[in-house]
Order: sequence, then C-alpha cells, then structure tokens
Amino acid sequence: MSFPKPILKTYLFLLLIAGLTSCVKDIDLDQAESITLQPDLQVDLLIFDVDEVDFRDPITNNQKTIIRDTVRLEFLDDDYIQNDLSEVEFSFKYINSFPQSFNNSIFFLSENNNVQHRVDFPIDPGSMSSPVTTERIELIEQAQIGVIRRSIKMVVEIEVLPNSEPFTGELKFQSKGLFSFQF
Amino acid sequence: MLLSQGQNKQLLYNVSDLPQTLMSNPGAIVNFDGHFGIPLFSHISLSAGSSGVNLFDIFDDSNPNVNQRVTSTINRLTSKDYFTAQEQLEILSMGWRLNKDDYFSAGIYQEMDLFAYFPKDPAILVSQGNANYINVPFDFSHVSFTGEVLTVYHLGLNRKIDNQLTVGARVKMYSGIFNVQSVNNTGIFLTRNTPEGPNYYRHFAEDIDVRVNTSGFTTLRDENQTVQEASKDLLSKSFFGGNIGVGIDLGATYKIQNNLIVTGSIQDLGLMFQRDDVENYTYKGTYQTDGIEPLFPGIGPSGAAFPYWDEFEDEVDRNLVDETLNESYVTWRPFKLNASLQFRFGEDCPPCDYRIQTKKIYQNKVGIHLFGIKRPGSLKYALSTYYDTKVIPNLRIKVAYTLDDFSYTNVGLLLSTQLKKFNFYLAADNLFGYLNLAKSRYQSVQLGFQFILNK
Repeated sequence: MSFPKPILKTYLFLLLIAGLTSCVKDIDLDQAESITLQPDLQVDLLIFDVDEVDFRDPITNNQKTIIRDTVRLEFLDDDYIQNDLSEVEFSFKYINSFPQSFNNSIFFLSENNNVQHRVDFPIDPGSMSSPVTTERIELIEQAQIGVIRRSIKMVVEIEVLPNSEPFTGELKFQSKGLFSFQF
Repeated sequence: MLLSQGQNKQLLYNVSDLPQTLMSNPGAIVNFDGHFGIPLFSHISLSAGSSGVNLFDIFDDSNPNVNQRVTSTINRLTSKDYFTAQEQLEILSMGWRLNKDDYFSAGIYQEMDLFAYFPKDPAILVSQGNANYINVPFDFSHVSFTGEVLTVYHLGLNRKIDNQLTVGARVKMYSGIFNVQSVNNTGIFLTRNTPEGPNYYRHFAEDIDVRVNTSGFTTLRDENQTVQEASKDLLSKSFFGGNIGVGIDLGATYKIQNNLIVTGSIQDLGLMFQRDDVENYTYKGTYQTDGIEPLFPGIGPSGAAFPYWDEFEDEVDRNLVDETLNESYVTWRPFKLNASLQFRFGEDCPPCDYRIQTKKIYQNKVGIHLFGIKRPGSLKYALSTYYDTKVIPNLRIKVAYTLDDFSYTNVGLLLSTQLKKFNFYLAADNLFGYLNLAKSRYQSVQLGFQFILNK
C-alpha cells in the first residue's frame, strides 16, 4: 500500500516548508545565565522603650549608667544571607525625652563574641514635653558585607551621660534593615 | 469575554470523517462504519501556551539587559495571565457500527494537563522585595495552579435518533498517576509604614491559607526506588493501582435543515478521588510584628543572650502554622464545552441509481465553533470560524481562524488523507507562529494514523 504521489508530494512539500520556515530567531538563550533576582527587603529589627527604672539594678536598686542587651539574629546564618546578600542599610532611631545625653553603641558579634562591626553615635537630650529624635543610617556595602555574614548577635549598649537635671524620661529605639540580595 | 485555548481541538471538531471527532463530541455525525487506531500512534496531541509572554520578550538578542526585561515582564503580566501545557497519547482506539443507527467506540489514552496562573504578587515579592511596595499588599490568592497525569479508559455510544438528531455519550474511568493542585488560596503579606508606631514598619501576614495537595508525588521523589520499581509503580497507577475517578462526555448534533447543523458537547464532566499516596502542604494563620523587643535584663556581650529569637520563632510558628498532612481530596476534571453552527454547501452528486437510497454529501462546510474549558476561578473560551473541504477525494482540508488570549492571528490547518482504509491526519494550530517560535505564545499539533472502515 502506498500513498498516491500527489498527496505524498503535498505532505512532503508542507513538511519542507514547515522545516524551512519554522525556527527560533532573534533570541539569545545564553542570557539565561545572566538572570538574577535582586529583591530589596525592608525588615524591622529591634525595638525597645526604656525609662529610668531600666537604669536601676534590680537587686541593689543602685542606678546604672550603662545598660545593654543581646539579641541573636539567627537568620544571619541562613543560606540566602551567607550566599546572596549584597548590601545592607541599617536605620537606627532614638526618641529621647530624658534631659540627659546618651552614648549608643551597637555591636554585631560573631558566635565567639568577636566584634564584627560597631556603630557608635551620641543620643541628643530632650525633654518630656519635647522629645528629640536622633537617627543614624549605616550602610554596609558589598566590599564589607562579610562583617554581617560573620555576625549572629546584635548588642545594644546605652550609656547615660549624667548631668544636673533629674534623671527621668523615656528612651525609645527603632531599627530596621534594608537587605539587598542578588540571587 | 476572556478568550483562551487549552485542550481546544477546533481542527478536529465536527470532522465527521475522523474518529477523533467523537472524542470531543460523542454525538457527532459518524461517516464511517469502523475504526482501529495504530496503537500509540492514532492520536498524538501536544500544546503549550502562555497568555502574556513569549521567549522573545525575555531573551531578545538585540538588547543585552535581560534582567530589565524580566522585571518589566513581571510588572506587565497580571495575575489573570497563565501558562498551559497539554499532552495526549492515544494508546488504543477502536470502534464499530453496531447497526445502522448506533456506533460504539472505546479506547485508552494517557493525558497530561498543566495549568498555572502567573503568581504576580509572590513573583514581585521574590524578585523585587517589599522595599518599593510599602503599604501595598502582596496577595497570595495569586498562587493558583493544577497539574495531572492520568490514564483514561472510555466506552462511547453514538446513536442516530432520527434524520435530524444524533446523540452520544461516553463513560470514562480515570486512573491517576500524578496530581497537584493549589487553588482557592487566600492571605496577604503587607509592610505598613507606621510613623506613630513603635518601629519604622509593621509587617502583617493576614488570613494566610495556602494549601498544596499532591498525589503520586511522594513515590516519585523516593530516591531509594530503583528505575524498575519506579516503572512498575507508574504502570500500576496507570491500571487503577493508584487513584481513580469517573466521568462522562455528552454530545448531540441537530440538523436544523439538511445543510445547517448545530452541535454541542460537554467533555470530562467527572472527578477524581485522590486517596492514595497523598500529601498536603498547608500554611495558615495571621501574625503581625514590629520587630524583636529586648528587655535589658543586664546580660552583657560576653554573657549568654536571652533567647529572644527562639521566642520570636515560636510565636511565629504558633500563629503561622506549617503542616504536612495526608488527607484525601477530590479534584474535578477540567470539563470542556463545545458548541457549533455549521453551514454545508457544494452538494456532491453520486451517480444516479434509483435502486440505491443515497444521502446528500456536502463537500464544503463553514462554521463557527465556541470552545470553553473550566479552569480555577473561571471558565475560559475560544471562538473559531472554519472552512472544511475535500480538495480531492482522498484529501480533506480544514482551515480555522481562532480568537484566543495568545494571538489574534491564529490560523490553523488540518490535513486528513485517506488511502483505502488507512488514514493519516495532521493538524497544526497558529501556523504563523512557526515562522518564529520565539515570538509565538501558543502552538499545538495533533496527528495520528489509523484504519477507518466503510462498508
């Protein structure tokens, strides 16, 4: 059994036309290797609100000039931070209604408590009626990003600078990170 | 009206010389007395489509900035855009005339059907992050997809009621090999600017309810399984060793006049009971946070840190619950609707013989065909017009123009050749797309070899 020649020729002609004209043009699939995802994530970090009670030793009731606390940021150990984080912009904000100034130190520590990065800045004095905002933006660029990758803890240390004014008020802290990735 | 394709076989619909027309309308007019498909080759059907993007949109070789194009494409696509891929392989196909009015057909075919809406908001969150979308919610209802691989066993009966009406029905048994389904998801993720709040922002995960149901997946990913064991498992699932379902096709053809017919059908009105090898992944809950709040209990850098992070994680886990379950579920098959109006002309006059009662045979047909398919959230449609003719006794040609989501220039062509009892057909859709597949958003092709018997 065989197809009549005209029909066979028709099919062969159509297949030939399809073969000659059907193609993938004007594209470069090698560009797939250059595709990267570059999300920028705004993430809240730490907040607190301390007053004069927090500067008193709970056992002796003596006033302390320095208070500090440590928070583990376990996500800094995750693969997407270790492999794909390209830049971080930290924002720290204090709203102070104490009439005293403070020295602020923020440490980023490794698992072994080695300081990887440190941010120091003074906190301006305010008043109960007119709290003062002090803000600091800290950019960790790609060249230094290793300091964040090696960190796992964030320590906030506040030192009050006593003066003659009564030590009473509120110190509010806000912080966030703008994490830029390149996947 | 949202127009689209996906399993639309407009080139094979209403082709009364081809047994495959019975698969889309069991009540079609049957112009043959028997058929037997070449096993595995009687019907091979492939199609793939994307309603909003093609390869050229991303990989244009005249513009090296591929990342800019990816971003602009993600921004341009909507959550109503979608991707489809289908494959059908007829394993066995046969049929014969029981009497002058009844035609019986039966067969087995394997089918794969994948459908996914573009998950617009999650795609933006992953590719661009939330920094430029403060106070803009990311909607997780955009995650909606289905996929299945199954074997279908079917028996159909076509009955000519009278000279005007032909009806038909096909009973189907489904044997599921693999299924995945994630539909009706809800929830948003939102980062809100909070100038009066305790931190710069507040992050909200509200009414999250995302569920992915799977069957036949756990066995597939079993790394300890040998190739022989995996093959045996797949074969077993193809022969009702896994999940089963039932369905029905119904159809009818009505001759308004001898040269004017109307047809209608519904295919795959059925469901699958997913009970075997089932795994469900769920993520549910509501949570909001401003960040972690240290309490300054007096532990310094050298001391052990208070487990704030662990507490935070526990709180998140309590409120946003991530579970893997083994719950049975039911899936509806994506049913399809067909309706057409056909005008026939060009009467072929057989040699005059008063001893034989001859029926009029029209060589040319023009018509309009509406196709619909049920997809998550909506029924989608395609509208075709066609011209069907026999150029020479052994060669039938059908040309169709289809309006769909993928193209306004979708012209398809069917060629069907009959040599004695042997038939070969080839149908290709969106022919202009073949000029440069990179710029095409949809292609489909169907072909097959079979024996068609006429007494």
